[in-house]
Amino acid sequence: MFKNEEMEVNLGPQHPSTHGVLRVKLRLDGETIKHCTPVIGYLHRGVEKICENKTFFQGQVWTDRMDYCSAVANNLGWAEANEKLFGITVPRRAQYIRTMLNEFNRLASHLIWLATHALDIGAMTVFLYTFREREDILDINEAFCGSRLTTTALRIGGLREDLPPGFAKLVNKFLAKFPACLEEYENLLSENRIWKKRTVGVAKLNAEDAIALGVTGPVLRAAGVPYDIRKAFPYAAYAEMDFEVPTRTEADTYARYLVRLAEMRQSTRIIQQCMDGLPEGPVMAKIPKILRAEVNEVYHATEAPKGEIGYYLVGEKGSTNPYRFHVRAPGFINLQSLPKMVEGSLLADIVAAIGTLDIVLGEIDR
Amino acid sequence: MKKFLKTLIPFDIAKGLTITGTHFAKVFLSANRRKVPFHVVSEYPEVPAKMQPRFRGRLQMLKDEAGEIKCVCCLACEKICPTQVITIESGKKEGRKTKLPTRYDFEMERCIFCEFCVESCGFDAIILNHQFELAVYNREDMSLSMEGTFQNMFGVSPVAKFSVADEEK
Repeated sequence: MFKNEEMEVNLGPQHPSTHGVLRVKLRLDGETIKHCTPVIGYLHRGVEKICENKTFFQGQVWTDRMDYCSAVANNLGWAEANEKLFGITVPRRAQYIRTMLNEFNRLASHLIWLATHALDIGAMTVFLYTFREREDILDINEAFCGSRLTTTALRIGGLREDLPPGFAKLVNKFLAKFPACLEEYENLLSENRIWKKRTVGVAKLNAEDAIALGVTGPVLRAAGVPYDIRKAFPYAAYAEMDFEVPTRTEADTYARYLVRLAEMRQSTRIIQQCMDGLPEGPVMAKIPKILRAEVNEVYHATEAPKGEIGYYLVGEKGSTNPYRFHVRAPGFINLQSLPKMVEGSLLADIVAAIGTLDIVLGEIDR
Repeated sequence: MKKFLKTLIPFDIAKGLTITGTHFAKVFLSANRRKVPFHVVSEYPEVPAKMQPRFRGRLQMLKDEAGEIKCVCCLACEKICPTQVITIESGKKEGRKTKLPTRYDFEMERCIFCEFCVESCGFDAIILNHQFELAVYNREDMSLSMEGTFQNMFGVSPVAKFSVADEEK
C-alpha cells in the first residue's frame, strides 16, 4: 500500500533562508536528505572579466560588490594584491587604519551572519539587536569614507584621506558598548534550548574533510584547525597586533557559533590596539598616476570574515589593466562542503547548514 | 536529576526573557519622558536625515564666485569613471582662458557613487553632494545634463526634500 519512493525537491533560488539566489537540489527519502547538489550562477555578473577590461585603479569598485557584507575586507585584498604586483610599500599609519576598518568589517559581517542565522533557526530578537549594533559600524564606515555598504574605502598605495575629525569618539563609543551587547546575544542564545536543539551536532564537518575540501575561515577553525591567515601570513598591521585565534573541536553548527562570537571579542581587542597605537605620518604612498604593469603574477590571500579570500593577478607589459584576474572566493569554496554536511540528516537541518556556512551569493557567483 | 530539573524549569528561557523584558521596560518607562530622544531609529521623513560630512551622494558641478563654471574639460573624471557615466564636450567662451564644457552629461542610473571622479578632479569643479533621495518618475530624468528644468548638474534636485539641509540648497 505504501510506496517507498525518493522525491526531488528544489530549495531555492527564491527561498528566504538560502541567503540569496542559491538553489539546492535535494533528493529526499521521507525527510532524510539522500543527495544534495548546490546549483549556483544566478547572480553571475562576470566580475573577473569586467576587471580585466578596467584599469587597476578602477577594478576596486567591483570587489565591493562581490561580498557586499564585508566590502572593506575585499578592498583590502585587492589593494594588497596590487601593491604586491607593483612593489608599493604602504605607510604605517595607513596599515593601522586599514587593519581597524577590516576588523570593523569583520564585526559587521559576523553580526549580519548571527542575525540571519538566528532568524533562519527561529530566534527573532537577536536579529533586531545585532542590526542595532551593525548600524553603528555602518555609521563609522560612512564617517570614514562616505558610504555605508559599498565602501571603496581603500586605495592602491594607502588610503584616500586620513581619519575624519571625531572618528575616535565614534570608535570609543562603540567599543564601550559592544562587549555588553555581545553578552546580550550570548545570554539570549547560548543556553536557549531551542537554539541548542537546532545547532548542537548539526551539520558536522570534521577537520580532515574540511581540509580536503579547502574550507577556510570559522568553519575550519570550529573543526579544531587553528589556521588564520592573519596569524599564519600576517598582512597589513596584523603582525604587530596581539590576538588569539579561537578554535573549537566539536565541528558542528554550535561550535561555529561560539567561534564566531569569540572572534568578535578578538576583533574588538584588535580595534582597541589600533586606536591606542595609531602612528603619525602620511596615509598614501607615492605612486604614479597611471599604473603600468610588468610581466608578473601575484596571488595574495587575506582573511575575510568568511575565510581566505585570494586575488590572483597577472600583469602584461605596459598594460594598464590586468591580463588575468581571478578571485578565490571563500564562500564559493566553503559551499562545496554543504553536501558533506547535510547528506543523511533531516531536511530542516539544511537551513542551519546554509546559515552556518555564512555564504553571500554575490561573492560565490561573482 | 539535575538535567531533569533543568528541562522542567525553563531557566534558559527566563534568561532570554529578562533581556527582552529589560529592554521593553527601559523604552516603555522612558518614552516621552526624557528630554533627549531615546530612539534608535530616526524620524526620517519628518526630521531631515543627518549625513556624515563625507557622505557620497549625487554628482554636482560647482561654480566659482563670479558664477562661472569651474570645469575646464580636462576629461580626467570621464577617464577615471569605472562605469563611464560622464560625457563631456568642450567649447570656448570669449574672455575665458580655459576651455568651457558645452555638454556635461551624467547618467545617474549607472553611477555607483565611488567618488573617483571627484578625487581625480584637479580643479575642485565637482563634488558628490549629500543628496540620497534619487528616485524619479521617468527614466529620462535619471540622465542629468547642464540644462534640464527638472534637475540639472548645478543644484540639488527638488526630490531631495529631506536629505539636504535648507542652508545647503
